[in-house]
Amino acid sequence: MDTVMELLGWAGVFSPLALGAVGSMVGCMIAGQAACGALLEVERGYGRYIGLTALPSSQTIYGIVVMFALMTRTVTVATAPGLAAIGILTGVGLMMSAISQGKALASSISASKAKPEVFGLSIAPAAIVEGFAVFVFVFALVLAGNLAG
Amino acid sequence: MARSPRYYMLMASLPPLPPVFTSDQTPISRLRLERRLALLEPDDRAELAAIEDLMRWDRLPLDITDQEILERAHSFIPQIRSATLREVATWRLEVRTVVAGLRRRALGRPPPSPREPWGYGRWVRYITHNWAATDFGLGGALPWVAEFSRLINQNDTLGFERELLGITWQYMSRAADRHFFTFEAVALYVLRWDIISRWTAYNGRLAQERFDRLVNAGLGEYAELFDTSSATR
Repeated sequence: MDTVMELLGWAGVFSPLALGAVGSMVGCMIAGQAACGALLEVERGYGRYIGLTALPSSQTIYGIVVMFALMTRTVTVATAPGLAAIGILTGVGLMMSAISQGKALASSISASKAKPEVFGLSIAPAAIVEGFAVFVFVFALVLAGNLAG
Repeated sequence: MARSPRYYMLMASLPPLPPVFTSDQTPISRLRLERRLALLEPDDRAELAAIEDLMRWDRLPLDITDQEILERAHSFIPQIRSATLREVATWRLEVRTVVAGLRRRALGRPPPSPREPWGYGRWVRYITHNWAATDFGLGGALPWVAEFSRLINQNDTLGFERELLGITWQYMSRAADRHFFTFEAVALYVLRWDIISRWTAYNGRLAQERFDRLVNAGLGEYAELFDTSSATR
């Protein structure tokens, strides 16, 4: 039983990075596919479309920071449930936000390709999605700081 | 229903469709469109081709009978995997049924007998039962039937075609609003592209102007040699 608890604790420590990275991969892939499609259609402004595809990578960075914050606690039977709960839920939150951001960016790329003047405004939905990832990130750090052990 | 990540690329690579009747040419040529459609999963590509075959008259063999068209529709439409595309295909054939009824009545022919294979969908019996009513009694569900009837009776072919394509465009656009980077979105794009293509093909004057432009573009610097106005000077 102790081993299972420790396993969960370690899973919690690594989840923010692992799940955040999975989300970033999918999000960047979705935005990247849309950017590549747009490149076939537009004559200029390639750089800005490709630049947008990198936005969902921030969730991986948040995951790294949260992972280091959780690593400051020793994984024991007492700390494992807290580490697992904070880490896994943070990871899921970051993963979902990265995937959603990728979809929002695909729409943004598609819209600004048709109407270049809305480029800045069309990124707003993706920025709002990023805001929720920041909430998860900040409060994961707060909770990690209050974790006993 | 395939939901391939490649459809993000495919949809983003397609130029936006202009509102119908506002353009004198399609936003992308059929050749380029076909190249982009190569990104479709094989099953989806086959299904899209079959839907287009069913919905476009020009793809039907000249000697096909109403019975054969109906058999095709009855066997193919239930097999369409997407509920949205099933609805669209059904709706399109139902509209065609209403139009067939209106044309038949305008020719002074009696309503089809119950055993005659002539229409598809839920309105077939309703139409034959309300043959004398201007809108076949369908005005509540299909408010455009009375206008269709008026245009057909006045033999206003162009006006009727415009109305028909406009109604079809609106229906497909509403369906497309629910889909973005999926097979349904691609299919509805192609079906609406077909509408623009069909309308622009009808416009003789614009077609001639476009043909002249293309010829001049192709001739390039040699265009002057074929310019009749300069030759007479």
